[in-house]
Amino acid sequence: MKPYDNRAWFLVLPALVILTFVGILPLVAVTNYSFQDLFSLNKPFWVGVDWYRNIVTSQRFYASLSRSFLFSAIVLSIQLPLGIWIALLLQRSHRFVVSTVLVLITVPLVVPWNMIPVIWLNFINPNIGLAGRMLAWLGIGFDYKFNALHTWIVLVVMDTWHWLGLVVVLAYAGISGIPPAYYQAAAIDAASPWQVFRFIQLPKMKTVLSMAVLLRFMDSFMIYIEAFRINAGGPDGATAFLSLDLGEEIQSFNYGPSAARSIVYFLIVLTVAWTFKAATSTRAPVAMEPAT
Amino acid sequence: MKSSVWRIILFAIVGAFVLVPLTQTIITSFISTLPRAGITEGHFSLINYQNILRSAVLKQAVLNSIIYVVLNVALCLGVGLPAAYAFARYSFVGDRQLFFLLLVFRITPTVVLSLPIFVLFAQIGLENTPVGIALVHCVFNIPIAIWILEGFISSVPREFDETAFLDGHSLPSFFFRHLVPAIAPGIGVTAFFCFIFSWVEVVLARILTTTGGKPITMAINALFGFRTDFGLVMAMTVLALVPGVAMIYFVRNHLARGFVIRT
Repeated sequence: MKPYDNRAWFLVLPALVILTFVGILPLVAVTNYSFQDLFSLNKPFWVGVDWYRNIVTSQRFYASLSRSFLFSAIVLSIQLPLGIWIALLLQRSHRFVVSTVLVLITVPLVVPWNMIPVIWLNFINPNIGLAGRMLAWLGIGFDYKFNALHTWIVLVVMDTWHWLGLVVVLAYAGISGIPPAYYQAAAIDAASPWQVFRFIQLPKMKTVLSMAVLLRFMDSFMIYIEAFRINAGGPDGATAFLSLDLGEEIQSFNYGPSAARSIVYFLIVLTVAWTFKAATSTRAPVAMEPAT
Repeated sequence: MKSSVWRIILFAIVGAFVLVPLTQTIITSFISTLPRAGITEGHFSLINYQNILRSAVLKQAVLNSIIYVVLNVALCLGVGLPAAYAFARYSFVGDRQLFFLLLVFRITPTVVLSLPIFVLFAQIGLENTPVGIALVHCVFNIPIAIWILEGFISSVPREFDETAFLDGHSLPSFFFRHLVPAIAPGIGVTAFFCFIFSWVEVVLARILTTTGGKPITMAINALFGFRTDFGLVMAMTVLALVPGVAMIYFVRNHLARGFVIRT
């Protein structure tokens, strides 16, 4: 049990001051804007909940919301199993192989986000791109500009390329923290590889994996720059995700409506964070771990 | 030994998946993509890298990026270390609520904050400067710094602190003389994650540098135009990758240890 001492607040204070300045203050400001019509920032006009009403009654909002959910669902169902699988294979590999694979797979994480679509558009370009020419050579008519399915494929593959490394690093962190005694006990019980995974590795990875789910969910749910650059929400709005709608309104300086939209999105974030906290803080007993 | 062969093949596929799109970028960066006197278009050339060295704007952008990212990492470590220590060693009023706040700020999409940040920073003169970007990136990097450092500090036994205090160390001297050396790998991992998340962020960086103080990412954006020099764009991209790849290499053995979160 940690000692109870409220002087610890002094240690937290500097971090809190900065977070207040760059996080809480902007949120207060944006809440204020969201109830006003700000043709220019100097002449606010109170409109109450009009902007909110416009958002929650528009078809477009729900269409974008369901597209964002679908994108997150696809991305998670690919990246999570794939990442765990790679981490499991890494665990049985030589040290040198592990660090090589980890270094390689995390390289896309350091690519600036606005360059990721540029790299991929170059890669799938039918005239000069390696993948583009390959597909043309195979006789596959790949058209990411006007075929909605193809735009989706590009976005999902690109996102997987970008973020798989994070899932692998987190999953590997979870696996490598399991003491050997667990595996010895499993061997004595003649547990199958699936049982080892299901009753030892998966429960032990739970914390880091929930972190991976949370980060991947939020980042894919609010995907912005990458999706915008590939096809600007097209074709015909088929990849218009939530954040693209918001970006559009900010670009056209509609302060009031974009503020209201920011608040709506922030409430979604709060809900997700709350659900995550509720789901992870109830500590279910882990297999083979003595109750404390 | 059949399974190990399959494993190597799978790793090779993963490696190819990561590297092939990048390879094309790297190759393009060494090709002259616009017609120029004395160089055949589409042939190997160092012209793009030479053009970066000749351009004052691009060199300034590299400098801006380095300034803001170093400042951001220093800030996050500076305020994150005491906060992480407080979370690791004490319980206090509101500690769980504060942890929840950190979680919320880490996952808040930058596009949600971009409008008020733009207005706020314009009013106090923090727009168009690397200092503004360094500050604003704290919103998602301070939580990361605190989480990772808290994990590393918690794994140091409490007796370690008590011995130092008995030896007459004050809190600041204990921090610098004992704690920092003891969790050096943790500081490295924290710096790495703060660095990459700040280095790649573009939404806030764009809205804060509309007319000046542009980092590399925004300088690359500005290169797109009527006749884009793709070779130059790719050369800048490759340059933007170098520090990140170097950092990955340095922390490769500790990568997996960081980033364990408590709620």
